[in-house]
Amino acid sequence: MKLEMFHLAPYRGLPADFREKHRSVWVDVPRHLFDPAKAHEYYNQTLYELVYAAEMGYDGICVNEHHQNAYGLMPSPNIMAASMARQTTGVAIIVMGNSIALYDPPIRVAEEFAMLDCISGGRLVAGFPVGSAMDTAYGYGANPVTLRDKYAEAEELIIRSWTEDEIFSFDGKYTQLRYVNLWPRPMQKPHPPIWVPGSGSIETWQQTVEKGHLYAYLSYSGFRRGKMVMDGFWKVAHTAGVDNPYHAGFLQLVCVGESEQQVADLYGPHAEYFFNKMLHVYPGFADPPGYRTIDTIKAGLLAQTTSFGRAGSEETTWEQLLEQGNIVAGTPDQVLERLEHVIQDLHIGHLMILNQFGSMPHDLTLDNIRLTATEVVPRLRHIWNDVPEYEDRWWPQGAVVRDAEGVPA
Amino acid sequence: MRSYRVSVQRGAFDVEYLEGGDGPPLLLLHGLAGLDWGRFHDRLSAGHRVVAPLTPGFGGSTGTENLADVHDLIYFYLDLLDALDVSGLPLVGHSFGGMIAAELAAVQPERFTRVVLIAPLGLWDAAHPVLDIFSVLPAELAEAMYFERESEAARAVAAVPQVRTAEVDPSTEEGQAVIDFYVERAKSMSTAAKYLWPIPNKGLHKRLHRVSAPTLLIWGENDGICPPAYADDFKAALPGARLTVVPEAAHMVQEEQPDDVADLIDAFLSEG
Repeated sequence: MKLEMFHLAPYRGLPADFREKHRSVWVDVPRHLFDPAKAHEYYNQTLYELVYAAEMGYDGICVNEHHQNAYGLMPSPNIMAASMARQTTGVAIIVMGNSIALYDPPIRVAEEFAMLDCISGGRLVAGFPVGSAMDTAYGYGANPVTLRDKYAEAEELIIRSWTEDEIFSFDGKYTQLRYVNLWPRPMQKPHPPIWVPGSGSIETWQQTVEKGHLYAYLSYSGFRRGKMVMDGFWKVAHTAGVDNPYHAGFLQLVCVGESEQQVADLYGPHAEYFFNKMLHVYPGFADPPGYRTIDTIKAGLLAQTTSFGRAGSEETTWEQLLEQGNIVAGTPDQVLERLEHVIQDLHIGHLMILNQFGSMPHDLTLDNIRLTATEVVPRLRHIWNDVPEYEDRWWPQGAVVRDAEGVPA
Repeated sequence: MRSYRVSVQRGAFDVEYLEGGDGPPLLLLHGLAGLDWGRFHDRLSAGHRVVAPLTPGFGGSTGTENLADVHDLIYFYLDLLDALDVSGLPLVGHSFGGMIAAELAAVQPERFTRVVLIAPLGLWDAAHPVLDIFSVLPAELAEAMYFERESEAARAVAAVPQVRTAEVDPSTEEGQAVIDFYVERAKSMSTAAKYLWPIPNKGLHKRLHRVSAPTLLIWGENDGICPPAYADDFKAALPGARLTVVPEAAHMVQEEQPDDVADLIDAFLSEG
């Protein structure tokens, strides 16, 4: 079992009345709310927290890409990853990832990932998200109708640019290149492992299974929906004869403390900030035409932004978040028991843990990282070791693999 | 009104088109809401054989997957007009159909005797932005489309179900109805998005000068999608074009004031 600390680098200082005064945290979030002096703090705290998570024993540290929003301040996660690669050894650098359909030409992504792989010594995970509707269709003006087609073409081009031995030309619908000749080239062979963050879109299940990419379901809507989506993935995977839990990952908000009351007092307001402000997205931005495929609509599945687009609905309370399973919180033993269940039931080999969320301040985040990484993570690592054929083929070649005792194998 | 089908580009498209009335032919291109044959169409077909094709992606017309952009769409339409064997006739287009009409009248100016553009899309003026029809919520969209907000049509637009915010169970009849509605809307709106995303300027302003047929512009005074300010931009690009602004009407001007708009078109066409 691999455990990774995920960071969104949120804007931690939105005003208390944000939800009442503004319609969306994404796309048209008022720019006067952005204070560069605060962002200076947040970026450096975020980097410190990620490096600290690595020092405390997490297997990997994850960053991702978002645009025009206060929910996550990393339009370029590669800038963060470059710093993380320099400040750590052994830990996997998981960029989750670059929205490959947004870059013209997409070999820009192939180049930057190759740089990161070389800098980190082969520790890079290359994430290829389609990207949320808000990031792609609205933030970057990408046509939602052609987004998936463009994504597929970009993926082909990037992988070919990493793997082909000779210079080649590329005559695509969206990209034409006379000479494709990547310098630098990735350290890992044939290329860094590819992880695809998904959302419950049927096509993504099929494509990740077919292509052998890791499928990671990133959502905040709790265990019930997580179970529904991962069951959908495994149904497709089993049809193809795939059963390896390392083929799949899941994201979970986790907070650990000394008692339930202490956890509620310490983390409650920040969890409520996250769910009530960070996910406060104008519903019109959540589902542009063509973003969801007809098959996904027919299956009755929601847009990627499951938890987004609830503007106007009631605020969510800490108690509700616990009850619905949006957050796993409690003493180390309580959290351990719950996460064991999540891992077994969703059949996942990678658990991405969000130890910082919403307005959670730096010191509390460090406490949460330390407690999770030292009291919980080591006791989860043994899971799946009893099945020898479950091999993690999605782990970077240059990253450390730890045994059940946490010792680098 | 009769419904027909025609094959275009060796079967790449199977196009549905509606025809009504007798007399000299008139080509009518529908807008974003699709083609809902109503009083306006009946009035227009009193003096004309109205030929109204459905753009691939709308109604029963297939082949939208073969079209990537406005360039493809214009060539598709030229092939369709060849297949229908129509030329030397007037051309009327509303909204998105007005944008296509303007493109066609620029590409083959000799094909059309007269051109009527009803609240056409196709230009962009940052001082008067076209409404973001793809993100706007149903209630606001209804207000932009209709002057009479309490009309049945306006209420229907405002009442579109909000599937995004709730779980939908495909095994229930109600859930299936919501899904069916969304599938149909996804087809037509994702067709429109090909040509209008993220803003509807796809270069028409560079081609408008080629339109040589006498042109009539019709605008709803209260158009909240494509504001009447765009009439001035079209007039500036089309010297000699005439403009009539219809009161008590928004973007669906021909639906809200069918008699007035049909009369305007009849009078304009009878001049030529």
